[in-house]
Amino acid sequence: MNMKGMTKFVEPVRIIAVVLIALAIGFVITALVSKEPVQAYTALLTGPLPRLSFENGFEIKNINRFGNWLEESTTLILLGLAVSIVFRARQFSLGAEGQMLLGALMTAVIALKLSLPFPAHMLLALAAAMIIGFLWGLIPGLLKAYLSVDEIVSTLMLNVIALQLFDLLLFNWLRDPAAGFVGTVPFPTSAVLPLLIPGTRVSFMTILMLIAVVVVWFLMARTPFGFELKMLGANRKFAEYGGINTKRVIALSMAVSGILAGLAGAHLSMGLLKRLTINLSPGLGFEGIVVALLARNDPRWVLLAGLFYGYLRTGAQIMERSSDVTREVVLIIQAIIILLITAERLFPFVQQWVQLRRSREEVVVEAG
Amino acid sequence: MAALVEMKQITKVYPNGVVANKGVDFSVEQGEIHALVGENGAGKSTLMKILYGLEAPTHGEIWLRGRRVEIPNPHRAIELGIGMVHQNFMLVPSFTIAENIVLGSEPRKGRFIDRAQAIAVTEELSKTYGLQVDPTARIEATPVGMRQRVEILKTLYRGADLLILDEPTAVLTPQETDELFMAIRTLVNQGKTVIFITHKLVEVKEISDRVTVMRHGEVTGRVATRDVTEADIARMMVGRAVFLQIDKPPVQRGRVVAEVRNLGYVAETGRPVLRNVNFSVHAGEILGVAGVEGNGQTELVEVMTGLRPATTGEILVDGKPVQRQSPRRIRLSGVAHIPEDRLTNGVALDATIAENLVVDRYNRPPFTQRGVLSPQVIRKHAETLMQQFDIRAAGPDALMRSLSGGNMQKVIVAREFSAEPVLLIAAQPTRGVDIGATEFVHTQLVTKRNEGKAVLLVSADLAEVMSLADRIAVMYKGEIVAILDNGPELTEEEIGLYMLGVRRQEVVTKAA
Repeated sequence: MNMKGMTKFVEPVRIIAVVLIALAIGFVITALVSKEPVQAYTALLTGPLPRLSFENGFEIKNINRFGNWLEESTTLILLGLAVSIVFRARQFSLGAEGQMLLGALMTAVIALKLSLPFPAHMLLALAAAMIIGFLWGLIPGLLKAYLSVDEIVSTLMLNVIALQLFDLLLFNWLRDPAAGFVGTVPFPTSAVLPLLIPGTRVSFMTILMLIAVVVVWFLMARTPFGFELKMLGANRKFAEYGGINTKRVIALSMAVSGILAGLAGAHLSMGLLKRLTINLSPGLGFEGIVVALLARNDPRWVLLAGLFYGYLRTGAQIMERSSDVTREVVLIIQAIIILLITAERLFPFVQQWVQLRRSREEVVVEAG
Repeated sequence: MAALVEMKQITKVYPNGVVANKGVDFSVEQGEIHALVGENGAGKSTLMKILYGLEAPTHGEIWLRGRRVEIPNPHRAIELGIGMVHQNFMLVPSFTIAENIVLGSEPRKGRFIDRAQAIAVTEELSKTYGLQVDPTARIEATPVGMRQRVEILKTLYRGADLLILDEPTAVLTPQETDELFMAIRTLVNQGKTVIFITHKLVEVKEISDRVTVMRHGEVTGRVATRDVTEADIARMMVGRAVFLQIDKPPVQRGRVVAEVRNLGYVAETGRPVLRNVNFSVHAGEILGVAGVEGNGQTELVEVMTGLRPATTGEILVDGKPVQRQSPRRIRLSGVAHIPEDRLTNGVALDATIAENLVVDRYNRPPFTQRGVLSPQVIRKHAETLMQQFDIRAAGPDALMRSLSGGNMQKVIVAREFSAEPVLLIAAQPTRGVDIGATEFVHTQLVTKRNEGKAVLLVSADLAEVMSLADRIAVMYKGEIVAILDNGPELTEEEIGLYMLGVRRQEVVTKAA
């Protein structure tokens, strides 16, 4: 078997093993803090599933929990796609959080300050979220490509700016002074995403998300741009030598990534809350990194990883509500999973880094 | 003569499963010059690393002066009188030569280093062994040949009786090589023993008393050098007969394909690296560029291929200026490039062979049609080229990382040659590849020339340039100091004089 075949076979097995180990450790922790650990853990593991009931004729119970899972996963998958694009090109952009906030902000501006008929209003709001995401990603992209500004620093700073812009506009312009909290009035229905499953908040965005998975997969696997992304990620100097305009690809990778983060923001405002509130969802932008890491930047795996991670997060909320275990325990389990997976990813990184340094030293001495 | 060192049944298996040595027996006698030869990956470096304590053998024993010894680290090796001079020098550039030599076991005066003593020690060693160095010069200001002498003196200072020299001539000019050989003979006359790792057969014949040949981790020959010919050794190395001489028909010079006019390049540090470079390459010829490494050859190639911007001057390909254009534009004008640093520029290790083969053409039909990339076409393309260029790998989807150096180079050659260039720039095309692949690359270069392409061959291996090129341009300190017609009357020594800057042509003909 060649190396690639091996990896293909070993990878899923390894990831499943990692998840099982993490869940086992999680159960041990649960057993330590809970009086009824089995019940609590069952809530975590099966909570998000709907239950079929035949007591009063056929009925599906807990559909809202199932809905929560899909809603959560939809956002996570969009963010995971966003991150997988930049990570594929080895650009460590952490800007999804800011792009998501501005995406949500733009939908509120369109929803509240324009009045249009239904599909147009919604589509315009979505487009605005995608465009602002693109532009907010383009900034660190251009800075990196042409001025060699480290993208980790620039995207984190841009996240701060985005958050302040968000608060500024919300407080001074968009907020509903009559509301008892800092938030806007509800969006007009013309700018709300149509509902897909009654009794939940699962909306048209879940379909858009599925389309996005296919589009991103196609972009990566079947277009010249996807090839350029991969070559840039594999070896920038090689890409340059081969004639690829790496500066353009660096800038575009971050910008295209921003489109998807912008959509995730639109999902929060136009699908889930149907308004804009302060503290929209702090830190959610970074959860996309977890999804992309779990999926090894492969859009097809992002779908599965997002569903898995969304399940875990929803189960956590249910466990918190229905047992004596706090959500923190689940956060610990999540953290352990991430730790196990990234630790294993770290290893080849370190190896490569050592090799790279060694080869550089050789060059220096030979040239010396 | 008694065996000084005996390595018995040495086997080395790396954690990743690579077997570098398989039951190797190796012995060196007191006072001899012993050549250890083999292709890249034959296991000779591993064997010597085991002897020097850098690697632990999986099986096997080391006997020194009739006693069994364990050598867990280089420190122990030095205690036992074994010294190694690596291919990549390990010197402190900002220290003087004397300081480098005593580094680690400095003569002291009270709590301070006794510099005068260090210099005296260096001078004495230098005199004893005929290795001339300037004790007070800083390493960064000294030429490569002297740095190597410093490395040798360093091991002698630590009391080495057995010196392992790892490909010591790779970075030297012919004159420097001669001097090194004289020094090695002096060392042996003084009672030292030398193991000389190389893959240059001429050197084996010239310097060694005995030779051990390795192939695929095993010893395939152990002979007295005077009993064999170069061809015999080559056969032991590759397991079959090789052509050491390249046959090529007389040159049929055609039109000027590439012309370089008054080219200058100033590095980001402000240092002028290329100065007023003029030459042209004609269809149907190989123009060789010789020179000690670091005299601007790397930058010349990178400027010509768009990887660095020219500061002044013009580069014309088929009459059209291409200076300061992007690598893609230059490639589209018909320039192909085999890069000097294969791993940095030439390949992406974590991409597949198929992907590596289309990095310059993925966005054109038939690979991309109406904006859609076709993995099948890319795979087919790879299959064809792999067959045509005899690339040995599991398949088009194998990762580049899994290939040997020679096969990686074949991937690069396959890509660049199949681009159908009018000008082919080959920089160090056979560095670090084995004899089989070297022969292959040489034949391919000559074929392109015979087909009427222009070939610019930049190589630090003078023998390579002299056996392939029709004309030879010599670079020294960023200038072309001579353009010579290659022929039987041109000698290595003459080129060497230009390479060292001793001599230069009065008028380096403008676009000769």
